[in-house]
Amino acid sequence: MEDKKFVNIIVTEGLCKSFSVGGVQQHVLNNLDLQIADGDFTVIMGNSGSGKSTLLYALSGMDKPTLGDIVFAGEKISEYSNDRLAKFRRNNCGFIFQEVFLNDNMSVMDNVLASGYLSGLARKDVYKKACEYFDLVGIPAEMYKKFPSQMSGGELQRVGLVRAIINNPKVIFADEPTGALNSANSIAVLDLMNKFHREGKNIVMVTHDMKSAVRGNCVLYLKDGVILNEITLGEYDKSNEKERLETLKSFLDEMGW
Amino acid sequence: MFSIIKSHFHKGKTGFVITGLFVVLSVMMMIIGLSICLGMGDLYENTKILTNSADATFLSSSNEFADLFEEELKKRDDIENYDLKNLYHLKYPSQNDGYFHFIINKGKGNMLSRQFMLYNVDAENDNYKPRLRDTVQGEGFKLYVTGNLIATTTIEIGSPITFFYSGEQYQGYVAGIYDSMCDIYQTNAYYVDGEFYNMIADFAKTDNDFDILNRFDVRLKYKTDRECEQKLIELRTVVTNLYKNYMLEHFIENMIYGFSNKLAFMDSTRSFIMILGAALIAFAVLIAMIVALVIAFLVRSSIMDDVRNLGVWKSLGYTTNMLRLSYLAIYGVISGICMIVGIILGITLMPTFVNIITDMARLECRKAIGLNVGSVFVAIALIIAVISVVVMLATSRVKRVTPLSAMRNNIETHSFKTNFAPLSKSKVPVNAALGVKSVVGERGRSIMVVAIVLIMSLLSSFVSVVYFNLKVDQTAIINMSAMEVPDWCIGFDYENKDPYYEAIRQMDGYKYDTWQSIGTGGYIGESYAMGYYYEDFEKLNTKMVYEGRNPKYANEILWEVSSAKERGYNIGDSVTIKFTPDSGEVFRECVIVGFYQSVLNQGDFMGTFELLSFYFNDDYAKENNIGRYFYFEKGKVPTSSQIYQHLMKTFNVDTINFRGFYTGRSLIEDTFLRTVETAADAVMAVFISITALVICLLLVMLIRLKLLREKRVYAIYKALGYTTPNIMTQIAVAMVILGLLGSLVGAIVGGLVTTPLLSLAGSIIGVGRFAFVIPWGYIVGIIFAIPLLIYIVSMLCAIPVKKIAPATLLRERG
Repeated sequence: MEDKKFVNIIVTEGLCKSFSVGGVQQHVLNNLDLQIADGDFTVIMGNSGSGKSTLLYALSGMDKPTLGDIVFAGEKISEYSNDRLAKFRRNNCGFIFQEVFLNDNMSVMDNVLASGYLSGLARKDVYKKACEYFDLVGIPAEMYKKFPSQMSGGELQRVGLVRAIINNPKVIFADEPTGALNSANSIAVLDLMNKFHREGKNIVMVTHDMKSAVRGNCVLYLKDGVILNEITLGEYDKSNEKERLETLKSFLDEMGW
Repeated sequence: MFSIIKSHFHKGKTGFVITGLFVVLSVMMMIIGLSICLGMGDLYENTKILTNSADATFLSSSNEFADLFEEELKKRDDIENYDLKNLYHLKYPSQNDGYFHFIINKGKGNMLSRQFMLYNVDAENDNYKPRLRDTVQGEGFKLYVTGNLIATTTIEIGSPITFFYSGEQYQGYVAGIYDSMCDIYQTNAYYVDGEFYNMIADFAKTDNDFDILNRFDVRLKYKTDRECEQKLIELRTVVTNLYKNYMLEHFIENMIYGFSNKLAFMDSTRSFIMILGAALIAFAVLIAMIVALVIAFLVRSSIMDDVRNLGVWKSLGYTTNMLRLSYLAIYGVISGICMIVGIILGITLMPTFVNIITDMARLECRKAIGLNVGSVFVAIALIIAVISVVVMLATSRVKRVTPLSAMRNNIETHSFKTNFAPLSKSKVPVNAALGVKSVVGERGRSIMVVAIVLIMSLLSSFVSVVYFNLKVDQTAIINMSAMEVPDWCIGFDYENKDPYYEAIRQMDGYKYDTWQSIGTGGYIGESYAMGYYYEDFEKLNTKMVYEGRNPKYANEILWEVSSAKERGYNIGDSVTIKFTPDSGEVFRECVIVGFYQSVLNQGDFMGTFELLSFYFNDDYAKENNIGRYFYFEKGKVPTSSQIYQHLMKTFNVDTINFRGFYTGRSLIEDTFLRTVETAADAVMAVFISITALVICLLLVMLIRLKLLREKRVYAIYKALGYTTPNIMTQIAVAMVILGLLGSLVGAIVGGLVTTPLLSLAGSIIGVGRFAFVIPWGYIVGIIFAIPLLIYIVSMLCAIPVKKIAPATLLRERG
């Protein structure tokens, strides 16, 4: 079934998120307005403590805002209960984390299926899709039965990618996906993310790494809980990577990064 | 070292608390169970002193025979003291003839109108005056009854009583209970106030239907219960021989004679008190086993979770033994504290269990059994042994932790796990499938849960089988008592009784009737034996035969198995029985065609008569018949009043010399069934509560631990779209699968092994076969009830899943 198209896949209005730390309120997101266009590979950058991850979790419905609205694919998810949010995430969000967070007691295939079976598709179709994605990310069939402890970090992150896309989510949220990977594995993972983006997936990625950030077509800079500025880089191509890097660097310099 | 211990404590508080609770339970039950079992010897002796009971009592309506008995007492050097007192015996009171009888209003219009004996509670110089308790004040004469009568009938303390005599009515009330070990099962022996007693004495001066009896209360010299038992049996034989010789020389028609002792009380209470005590000990040991399993699980989990820290400690110079001792120290401290709590609880709750014993015994003996100091040491030794062995075994893995392995955060560098229950092959809903995976993924925990549930369901099943047979369907226990339970035993004091029996056969609901006779005395060798005659054994409700077959012909007998085997007799052997009717001795050569077994004193008839008894159908016994057994359709068994009215109407008379008894049933009920019913209730309540408690505690511990250890997994599940109820279901499903497996095996095995186990235990007291019915409905109930309990408790324990927020976890890690 063709995915419904939106002008903006995610829109926030007056988004606030505060935490109480030792009885003191810390305002991490401050009245943040944001529109993420449908079809974008959005990168969120900023200094440590700027609220990048908090914004990612709020946008993905993993966390509820203190104030403000989040409209995700036309649904006002900021009003949803935790369980409704969980159900919402099943078919709308995919996640890639710095630590892959696979269940150590399950094979990699089961880790993917545990997520895929929530989609409501027929199980054989989910399995078939998982095999196709594993093939796509370069995980051979003989590794399906392996446990996370038997795989390398790069392999694990690729499994994480498959888990993130198995339910055909509207948006893939990635939190420092290459943070724990070596250079070769980072490139492989980012290439796959670009591939998914080209195939129509929205991606929202938080990163510190410029080489990763350059893969996106829109970079937001977050400071003190507000979007300070943003830059549009256009579609990524290996050939224009150097130019993009320079553009991004000057943008970040401007932002005081 | 102290910092390591403190670190262990902070990481596993829930596990320690639950382990501690199990230790408390185990110690408490061990102390109470052992105190009960070890206190049995003191129980009877203390009860005797507390209730001012005799060891034996002797009754005789003949002064001459009473003198003979006293002479015998004087000759013996094992008599500590004895006392003689008088009582009035009122024979077979009729019901509507303006003669005399008691009517006790039991609240349901029932009447008590059997023959009865009255003692004077205000008699001076009565050294064996029983202890009175639960006394109340009321209007009219005072009547004190046994605790057994209160427990087995609807009669209550304070119930009004009407005594009819020669057209006059005298009002009184049940003023309290009298405790006497020899009279505990008496339902027709009462103590009355002096004024009423003296009035009866006045009636007796002119009315021959009152017998004045002599009663000797005797105390023996002995050191142990066993010695006392031997002396009582010996004294009974002496009395029986005395009676036999006396009757041969001076035949006195209707001479009343009786010899009773405390053995009936001891025999009918000992096994069930022992069962209660043994059950508590068994539970204490099983809970100690559970403590072992839980500690093994907790220590192993702790080592796996704490590899990095252990490696760091080792790199700092701590040796394997020091680290192992740190685990022992923490469990030692916790167990030590909990053992003290267990001891205090044991001491505090001991009276509650002694109250159960009092209820079973029908006799106030709360102060007769106390805490056994030795039991405290046994309980402590058991827990120390369990904890030391288990902790040292479970910590053997610490040896494999090296600073290097700690850096890898694992003991093993490679995992060769098999992917059991792959989701791709699963046909069940995904939450159930993940539950299944959690079962196989955490084998150590799964094995422990299955083992504990198996133990608990096996015990529950065992207790259910016992409960069903003791309380719900007593057929098996009645069969074991080898006493027939007819609907009615009816006799008439008429030359030609047949028209009267025929009249009863015309009553609604009549099924059939058969001749029976009790008390046909004879001799097998030198031993006196009671013969029970039945016209047709096949018509009896009770299946007497333990081995062999029922007697069919005149020269065949069914003999109590232990008595027969003690004398070297087997089925097919011949035995000579000497009967002693008035006309002289009659010898019968009988063939043993079968054995029966009896839980009631193994051939000893209620501690009153001789050691031997047998069943037969020789016509000879018909002479002594007291009536016929009548059987009616269920729900149509007539009351005595209905039979009486029917007969009066049929024969158009005002008086019927009718004697009706619920023979067998009342005897068994009064002395045995009610006791076992109370025991069944108590044991069932205790066991079911403990089973539920153990399972709940286990689940609380495991699920809390699981939530703590797998917080990350659940947070990610939530991020992927699993809801709180989904995850709660996964946890509950895993536990239910384990519970179902454990309860299925445990309950079925428990059901199947109960009878063989009881037979094994029963063989010690001479009851070799417990033909208990296995209540499969109960077993199936346990198989499903335990998992249902597990499901409910698991869901409740898993509620904190709600608090697991994926963002919080990711933020913490980020």
